[in-house]
Formats: sequence, C-alpha cells, structure tokens
Amino acid sequence: MASFAPYAYIQCPCTESNLPTRRLGSESPTDPLETEQEEPTFDPRAPRANYSLYPLEHLLYCEDCHQIRCPRCVIDELVACYCPNCLFEVPISTVKSEGNRCTRSCFQCPICIGPLSVSSIEAQRDGLGAEFAAYGGPYVLSCGFCNWSSDEIGIQLDKPNSIYNQLAKIRHGGKSLTNARERRKEREERSKLGYSPTIEEEGGSEDGQEKTDLNATEDFDAESQFGNLKAFYQAQLSESSPVSSLGLPGDYSYGSPGALSRIMGLYTGSSFADKKSRTKKGIMREARDAPEGLHIFSPSSDEEAVNRLRTEGWGNTVSTTQRKEQSEQNTHFLSDLRPIPYLLRTRRSKRCKTCRHILSKPESKVHSTRFRIRLVALNYIPSITIRPLQTSSSSLLRPMKPTQFLLTFKNPLFDSVKVNIATAAKTPGRFSSKVTVLCPQFEVGANTDAWEEALREGGNKGGEREKRRTKAEASEGQHQAEAGKVWERGRNWVSVVVEVIPASLRVQAPAFLKSEELQKDESPLREDEDVLEIPVFVRVEWEADPTHDDTGGLAAAGAKDKEVKEKRELAYWCVLGIGRIARD
Amino acid sequence: MSKKPPKGEYIETETGNKVSRRGQLVGTTNIILGGKSVIQAEVVIRGDLTREKQQGQGNQVAIAIGRYCIFSRACELRPPGKLYRGTFSHYPLKIADHVFVGPSSIIEAALIGNHVNIGANCVIGKFAIIKDYVRVLDGTVVPPNMVIPSFSIVAGRPAQVVGEIAEGEVDGFDLREAYRAVRN
Repeated sequence: MASFAPYAYIQCPCTESNLPTRRLGSESPTDPLETEQEEPTFDPRAPRANYSLYPLEHLLYCEDCHQIRCPRCVIDELVACYCPNCLFEVPISTVKSEGNRCTRSCFQCPICIGPLSVSSIEAQRDGLGAEFAAYGGPYVLSCGFCNWSSDEIGIQLDKPNSIYNQLAKIRHGGKSLTNARERRKEREERSKLGYSPTIEEEGGSEDGQEKTDLNATEDFDAESQFGNLKAFYQAQLSESSPVSSLGLPGDYSYGSPGALSRIMGLYTGSSFADKKSRTKKGIMREARDAPEGLHIFSPSSDEEAVNRLRTEGWGNTVSTTQRKEQSEQNTHFLSDLRPIPYLLRTRRSKRCKTCRHILSKPESKVHSTRFRIRLVALNYIPSITIRPLQTSSSSLLRPMKPTQFLLTFKNPLFDSVKVNIATAAKTPGRFSSKVTVLCPQFEVGANTDAWEEALREGGNKGGEREKRRTKAEASEGQHQAEAGKVWERGRNWVSVVVEVIPASLRVQAPAFLKSEELQKDESPLREDEDVLEIPVFVRVEWEADPTHDDTGGLAAAGAKDKEVKEKRELAYWCVLGIGRIARD
Repeated sequence: MSKKPPKGEYIETETGNKVSRRGQLVGTTNIILGGKSVIQAEVVIRGDLTREKQQGQGNQVAIAIGRYCIFSRACELRPPGKLYRGTFSHYPLKIADHVFVGPSSIIEAALIGNHVNIGANCVIGKFAIIKDYVRVLDGTVVPPNMVIPSFSIVAGRPAQVVGEIAEGEVDGFDLREAYRAVRN
C-alpha cells in the first residue's frame, strides 16, 4: 500500500470487436445508431475492464492483421510437454496414454507440495539428493521443506529409481496393490471363461459373485476404478451403438451409424430412427460389480471415519488444498495422503485467432529458451512510462492539488510516429479527478540506430540528459509546462506533461463538489477506489515501408519500385495508474 | 556512515565489477566474477565454503558468477553443503548472466540460470536449480532440491509456480542498463 508503482495497461481491441461479426440477419435497427455514436470513454473500473487490460509486455502483435493481440485473442498450440522437475520431454503420444503426470521419479510432498527426494533409510536424517543410491537398502521419499517422509504412511521402496512404477504397486502400509491393467487382464480372462455380461444371466449368478466383489472394491484406487468403468462402458457402447441413436454419452462421432440415422431422421422428418432405437435401447446396462467399476458405498466406512476423527483428532485431517492435489477422492486424513507425481508442463506456440499466423514459437528443444518467432507488441507500439514531474515527499496524491506527471512515449519502430492522446476531462467513477493533457499531439522520432544510442550512452549524452533534468527540477518555479509543447524530447522518445487534480475522497462533501455518481451512491470508500486511473485513448500513425513485410517476393519487389510508403494506424485505449489519493 | 570512504562506494575491478567496500567477501580466491557485476553493501559471499579437500587440489571454485549480475544490499550467497559418503562437503554455487538478487535474500542454490530475477527476502534452498528467465517474487522460500523450469514465476512458502513469463517480458530481464545506472 505504501509504495505504488505507476503502471500503464493497454486494452486489447479484441474486446470491442464483439460487434455484429457473426450475427446473421437479425441485426436490430437501433444497433448501427448506437455504434455510430461517439464511443463512450473506456471505464477502467468497469467489471469487464479487468479482462481486457494488459501490460504491454503481455501483448503480441500480428503483422498481418496489424493489430494488437492479447492472451485472449491468440490460440495456443502445444509444442512439447515436459516434466518441470526432471525437465525430460514427454512425447505427446505418451501423455495421451500414460496421463499428464511425470512417470519417472518426480514427486511432490502431499503435505506442502515441496519436491520429494529419494533417500536411503540409513542416511535419512541428511535426506538430500539421490546420491544415497550408493547406500542400498530400503528407500523413502522425503521432503526437504516440511520433513515429511513416505515412511509415515508406511511406504518404503526397494529401488531408488522408477519410483512411479513402484508406487503404483504399493498401498499404504506397504501392502501390494494390483494396478488397473492387471485388473483388466484378470477381468478379460474371466469373461473368456464364459462370464458374459448380459442381464439374463444376472439373476442367477448374483449372490456368490457379489460377496467376492465387495472385497475387491477395497483394493481399487481411483485410477483403476475409472479405468474399469471406462472399459466397461466402452464395451457396452460398442455392443449397442451400431443400432442405437440419440446421443449415447461418449459417442459423438458423426461417422457412427447411430448418429447418421439420427441426422437423417432430422432432415427427413420421419421417425424411422426413433423406432429402431426404441427397440434396441434395453441392451445397455450399468456396471454391477467391482471389475466393471462399480464402487459400492458401505455405511461402515463412514462410521470408521468418525471413529478415526475421534481418536486422531482434527489435526490429522487434510486441508482442502492438500485434498485437491490428490488423485484419490476420499482422502480425509493425513495418513491417507500419497506423494503427488509432478504435473507436466507445456511449451506452447501462439497463433493469431483471426488470421492464424504464428505470433510466437519457441524452439522445440525443452532446454532452449530462444524463440523462432516472437512478435511482441513491445516492438511495435510505443511504450509509456509515468513519472511525477515534481518529486514530492509523500507517495500519496494530495486531493484538490494540481499535480503534474510526465508521460514518456518511447518509439520502438524504425519509422517516426505521430501520436495523438486523448482523455476525458474527468476520470470515470464516483470520485472523478480532472485531467488535462498539455500536449495531446506530437511526433516521436524513429528508433534509427542502435549504435548511435550506444555511443551516446557511453559518451556524454547520459550526463547531458541528467543535467537537463536537474536543471528543470531546480528551476521548477520558472520552468512551467506549457500547453501544446513537448516537455522533453530524445532520439526516439518524447515526454509530455499531464496535469491532474485528484478528487477528494470525502463521501460527505458539499453537493457542488460531488460527481453525479457519488450523489447517487454514498456508500463508503471501496477497495482500490482511491487509485487514480486515467483512461487515455492513444492513436498512433506512421508510414511504414511495405517492403518490411515479407509477404512474398514479387509483391515486395513491386512495392519497392513504386517507393510508396504505406500508412499505418493503430488506436487503442490505455489506462494509466498514477497513484493513490490521500484521504483527508 | 560517518567514515564514508572518500573514493566512493564501489571498487571497480579490471573487468568492470563494482564491489562495495562494505561487502563481506570471504575466501575471495574461490570466487569468480565474470565481470560487470555489482555487489552492494553488506552482501555476504562465502567463498570459504569449498569442497572437502581432495588430494592436494588447492584452489577450488566455491562461487562462480557470470556477467551483469546485481546483488542487492545484505543478500547472502553460500554454496550448498550436504553429507555425502560420510563426509560433509560444500558444492559450488553457479550463477549465470543477468541475475538480479533482491535485498536480504539468501541463496544456497546449486545453479541459477541466465536472466533470473530474485526478489527481496527470498530463501533459495540448498541445491535448488533455477533455469533461465525465472522471476522469484518477494518473500518466496524455494525448498531444497527444487527445480524451477524456464519462464516461470514463482512465489509462496514453499515456492510454487504461479505464472509464466510472457514473450514480451523476456527483454526486461536484461541488466545492462541497471549496471550502467550504478555509479559511485
């Protein structure tokens, strides 16, 4: 609260373009009138504004659309998946089959989500690094942050590597666990032995079967249960889908005869599809035993939980965050927690949503941090920095006292740029401050030569600038900011002065001092309402060399012959956060 | 404060390092500075914590620092140590280029990559590995042995990846300007 860093957020134009692009025919007559009217000033406090404001660094720029692109108007594309702990790349095919967790030896502590390291039991108290492999003996996973160890839940490992596979076979307390695949195999074998899952048979075989299956449910972890359920219903679907229709869950493909007949039914208007489906519908049945994925809730488990809560106490129950990380659903006690395999991370490239051109593409290697393509807005639109003109002792803005700020526009382009900035005279909101831009129109020079800058920086330029600034500050009284004049100018940057009269934050003020909104709503000051934010409409115009665009050799060559400069224009809203207003 | 050295705050070395006169560098023979790095006042660099002496290898690197690194006031760099095969030994701490360490942070990492920004009052645990382009927010405690992949924003106790570095932020990690801004 004490320190406030001024910021400039840019509104991505994509939020405005939800105008009738896709509306078919139903355009109401009032709509064009509304859009034709003067656009309302952008309100940074509007609830929607939060979703469209980004710092310049987060924005990309599409060279083909000549438009800013924010994270909401780009499409992410997967380049690679990798484990954030061991940094091994996982092929996407493996991700599809094995799941989105690291299947090597990377685990997180279930208590504090710190990384777990393997250590031999003999040397457990040092517990650092996998080098203890040399010690031999049983191993445990231990957390270096909270000192949790898998010994606490009775899990010890024989090998220091491929822990994921080892853990999949071990239950709490060291008992072995048959994993999903073995279960399925078993099930298949059973079905081969003449157990066919149909309703007719159910009546006869239920009693003896169910008892053994109830025991079997105990062994299932969530993953294998889900696997069983999925396998069962897929089998059911494949048996019944060729003739059934009307959206069986999980079967949306238009290629299936069921869907096809449904579509045909829609168009012909006949009910020939319905008849068929009605006759065959009864064949689908639900899972009815554990190998098929049925989990029967036993009332005794509830009692057991209550009893455990009595004996172990509240302190041994899991927190919501801990529980959320677990893949198992019913973990209530700390002793039920299991180490969490690391979730894989992705590396993505980004495309423009409208023209599908690639805006950013990292190199495919996981360890490389370079980009093959990187079109960031930082290289196309001027950056804005804010600085108070007078250095005041307090960081808060004094209400009703005119304060001046310097806006510095820095041009990243190789062409000089004309900038127009406009603000409403009063900031929107209940406490509206008065804002005046002293110089709303100016030209920023081109970002010509990096060498020049380097030479100047090395030489006397920096000092000179410093001198000029100090002089300006020293002679503050005389050196007044003049309307229509640029305050300071550099090779590719321009500073202009903005004068602000911060509003009084008093709710109980005399009526003439109050804004309309405040008169309507006299509730006390809300959170962050004391931050002075100025919406500014920035319009940038420049003449670009069309040859810079590599839109194909021939076109470029033709343009070069003509030597025509293309006029470009970009306009967007920008929100300047200037400071907090002091309460009086 | 009263005995302010007349020559200014920093000693500038041949390779352009600016080392504060009030920094505490221990075991300087075991510290390598790549050049153009800034070490501010009250920074502690423990070069004396080297690997256990092995067969007469005299000079060992305890801390290797790349170019354009800035170590803010009162931060501490110490090589990580652990018990290995019955003997306690320290391992080298490597810091690559363009690394910023905020005030009062304690670094015991094994490796810090290029373009890393560590905030104020952080603790980087033993043998942590921080890859390139990582931002560690203020007050973070990175647990021992943690690996932080590239383009991460990390916060919390224990540290957790809370965000990603956007493409445009990559340029902001360059510390050349900040180095030039440090004057005597």
